[in-house]
Amino acid sequence: MPQNDSGWQASLQLEFEQRDSRTVLAYRKHHGPLGVQRAFYPEQACPHIYILHPPGGVVGGDQLSIDISLQSGAHALVTSPAAAKFYRSAGDQAKLHQTLHLADYAKLEWLPQETIYYNAAEVCSTTRVELDENSCFIGWEMYCLGRPAANEYFTQGHISQRLEIRRKDIPLWLEQTAISGNGEMLQAPWGMSGRALAATMVAVGPVDGLAEEIRQHVSAIAGDYFSVTRLDDVLVCRYLGTEAQRARQCLVAAWQLIRPKLLGLPACEPRIWNT
Amino acid sequence: MNPRPAPIAAAGMGTIMAMTDTQRGTSCTVPLPLLQLVSPALPVGAYAYSQALEYAVDAGWVTNEQQAADWIAGLMRHAQVHLDAPVLLRLHQAWQADDHERVMYWNQYLYASRETAELQAEDYTLARALIRLLIDLDIRHTSLLKEKKRLSYACPFALAAVQWQISAGDTIAGYLWSWAENQVAAAIKLVPLGQTAGQRILLQLGQTIPALVESAQQIKDDEIGQVAHMQAMASAWHEHQYSRLFRS
Repeated sequence: MPQNDSGWQASLQLEFEQRDSRTVLAYRKHHGPLGVQRAFYPEQACPHIYILHPPGGVVGGDQLSIDISLQSGAHALVTSPAAAKFYRSAGDQAKLHQTLHLADYAKLEWLPQETIYYNAAEVCSTTRVELDENSCFIGWEMYCLGRPAANEYFTQGHISQRLEIRRKDIPLWLEQTAISGNGEMLQAPWGMSGRALAATMVAVGPVDGLAEEIRQHVSAIAGDYFSVTRLDDVLVCRYLGTEAQRARQCLVAAWQLIRPKLLGLPACEPRIWNT
Repeated sequence: MNPRPAPIAAAGMGTIMAMTDTQRGTSCTVPLPLLQLVSPALPVGAYAYSQALEYAVDAGWVTNEQQAADWIAGLMRHAQVHLDAPVLLRLHQAWQADDHERVMYWNQYLYASRETAELQAEDYTLARALIRLLIDLDIRHTSLLKEKKRLSYACPFALAAVQWQISAGDTIAGYLWSWAENQVAAAIKLVPLGQTAGQRILLQLGQTIPALVESAQQIKDDEIGQVAHMQAMASAWHEHQYSRLFRS
């Protein structure tokens, strides 16, 4: 699809179904530079799916939309082969809209690699998760402001990032993060306290006892921060630090405890994470 | 999405601040029921919570008057103004319109926006206590909230304000004020600070409230909410802090 005046319009739609003893990608449709590799089955029943973001990254004016549905009983793990990059904008906002629908007894692991917001990026990102009574969801969002390793700091631009989880229309978890390049939140001791990397992992399902277990076995590397709390129906882990790789290590350690409890399966890391 | 709320009149503690101008007059312009609603004597037990300030002091992030003032003012400007205040405005409008479906929508929205178990439990406990009081005071419609499992304090707070004919602007100002006063009281105990230092911080915070009430009105539905990362994490750690004065 050609690039119009205001940027790329890209969309990706995936539908998973439980067939016999495994979940299959029953439907896929894409439009513009968003794609998906063929499903891998490193653990027989649950496909590992890699979503490919536009080559090179996203610029102001681009609009991406990802829509994933899982039929009753289906189970999929979705990740990405590399970090998503949102570049400096000349003014236009880039929009990313993701909707994840889980039918009853469906299970989704939504574990994309980190998002890098370059300095002066203008981005609005929304992820809506719609659950039914017995759906299970594990998901994380990791983002890095600027590229501190290259001495590029996030001093301009605006990021609005939203994660909404609802079960049968009742909101279970709503998180909005609004960041301005010149805002006090970046340095404030109650805000990001000078850290460029933040991540939130959320798990919904039978989470009893998990917070205690994670608290006992998982911790951040010195200088970074990790916390866990459990609300009514939602387990929430947070990480604040400087490097995506460390954040992922820590959240993967938590995920290794969550997965057996929630999904009855040992953790099986997508191969792409180690390449 | 819900329509953007109509702008509201007289911002903030405008009426109270205006006292200085009308001191020469003889009429009382203070909305007295508001004073009752925001008084620490209101039996809801807000004083028992520090909203992560206790952890922040323990961790050495807040050690003096200036840092306490910055911590409280920063959270008020960010988290309170972008989350509680705009939701409170919508709750006030919904109660005013007798639109109970919208009341529950925004009530659940705020409840689901709480970052940790302790912040959610605090919100719920305060809401329950206020609902009990409003039922005993025979405030209309309170019984609608009696059986609800997901409750935010702002919900019965807005109901009382509407029933007592407190304007939306004054309601938001009062809510922010009582939040600030409670945080300052916690800082006095924890840092610790002298009573005068506490009053100095509160005076500064109060002066910012009218402008914050204005900004809260500009926030659109899809902009509501603001996480404060370290406060959220500190609150999670506070749930297991070894020795605590404040509840979790």
